[in-house]
Amino acid sequence: MKLNSLGYLLKEGIRNLWTNRMMSFASVGVLVSCLLLTGAAVLFSMNIDSAMASLETNNSIRVVLDDNLPTLEGIQVGEELKQLGNIETCEFIPKDEAIKQYLGDDEELLAGLVGSDNPLPDAFRISLTDLSLYDETIAQIRSLDGVQQVDDYSDIADKLTSLDNLVATAGFWIVILLSVVSLFIISNTIRVTMFSRRLEISIMKSVGATNAFIRLPFVVEGVIIGIISGLVSGVLLNIAYGSMVEAVTNIAPFFTPVPLGPMAMRIYLYFIAAGVLFGALGGAISIGRYLRREGGDIIGW
Amino acid sequence: MIEFKDVCKTYPNGTEALRHVNLLVDKGEFVFIVGSSGAGKSTFLKLIMCEERANSGEIIVNGRNLSSVRKRDVPYLRRTMGIVFQDFRLIDNMTVYDNVAFAMHIVGASSQDIRKRVPYMLGLVGLQKKQRAYPSQLSGGEQQRVGLARALINNPSMIIADEPTGNIDPALSFEIVDLLSEINRRGTTILMVTHEHRLVKHFHRRVIEIHGGQVVADSSASPAEVLS
Repeated sequence: MKLNSLGYLLKEGIRNLWTNRMMSFASVGVLVSCLLLTGAAVLFSMNIDSAMASLETNNSIRVVLDDNLPTLEGIQVGEELKQLGNIETCEFIPKDEAIKQYLGDDEELLAGLVGSDNPLPDAFRISLTDLSLYDETIAQIRSLDGVQQVDDYSDIADKLTSLDNLVATAGFWIVILLSVVSLFIISNTIRVTMFSRRLEISIMKSVGATNAFIRLPFVVEGVIIGIISGLVSGVLLNIAYGSMVEAVTNIAPFFTPVPLGPMAMRIYLYFIAAGVLFGALGGAISIGRYLRREGGDIIGW
Repeated sequence: MIEFKDVCKTYPNGTEALRHVNLLVDKGEFVFIVGSSGAGKSTFLKLIMCEERANSGEIIVNGRNLSSVRKRDVPYLRRTMGIVFQDFRLIDNMTVYDNVAFAMHIVGASSQDIRKRVPYMLGLVGLQKKQRAYPSQLSGGEQQRVGLARALINNPSMIIADEPTGNIDPALSFEIVDLLSEINRRGTTILMVTHEHRLVKHFHRRVIEIHGGQVVADSSASPAEVLS
């Protein structure tokens, strides 16, 4: 392809896009929704991963002691815990402290629930040195005398994992579906341009234009649709995620969502790359089909 | 230049468009191709342009056997011929100049060459003053001259004109054929399909008549050859 032609073809692609702006707009819309959903699913998954990671790093496991276990025996259990080997920190939380942590400093609320009326047992908050020995260590702790139960976060982790899997699976299929729809719409948009320009195509063929030359403006049209969609969905995702992070941190202050800032550039890049890929593919599919079927006619098309 | 050796063409729907056609058109000839509609004239042109392929026989154009031309080489083969259509096929939203320049863009000509050659060619067909006009502002005859300029712009060795006067005022038809004659005088082979017997009679050129998919008359050939 000569350089002379390249500039000309780029110009032609942009002209196509503008002449056919309603359909181009529709293509951008569908591709944006597809990219947004993909992005949302990925971000959701990243947040769950980060939540699980923070659960693991804090890995505060609560070892609940038997009700009414004398404090001395409680301390004894603490010593045994420390001797288990895989314990990094071990902090005693007496039941008075626990009820305060649970209910806050509200004197009225606390009034009836202190001392022997406190329903909460004494407990230890421990963290592990080596998480890979998690199951064994928990089993050892459970077998200690005076330990009523061990509250770990494995059930929450399980729930998060299964939610993550659900979102990933659902997201995957939705994205596949939307990808097909976007490809369909983009290729149809470009078919419309092609149909409106079939006169030009027949002239091009009669003058001896190669198929690559005929194809390129339509691929350019698709690529531009892709770039625009990538940019728009990047901006939208950034805005939507920003406001969502704000809302979530208001509702659940203990949860820190993954910050988007460092990833923003990469999101734009991926989105634009995906858009370009889809656009070019859509353009190539439709023009390929056209050139094979109807576009061969020069005389009497 | 163009040689058909026992060429047959049957379309997938069973239509026998050409049957055992033999003919030879030399470089620099001017040939009228006549025949009623459905006689096989369009198929004849399509075969030359490689738009269709023959079922049997040999077609040689500019020294190349078309049955062995690969699909991707077809565009380059077409660059050796200029095509003029009955319906002009000008692009409405392009000026006369751009319509002609379009054909040069397609073969990757430089802007410098385009700027030099397009006005020259429009001068040749007598339209240098209408460069900035749009097709809708021109008469049929003028539009066809733009079509001719476009067909000639890449310097083809032959012009294929498919009823070029079919949509033009009869008085102006002679003008177009005059122009084609002038182009032919400069060495370009002309193949012109036409219905108009007036033109054929007036210009005294070789006439090939196709009927029912066969060459039934060829003014340059002896009657015995045609019958065989």
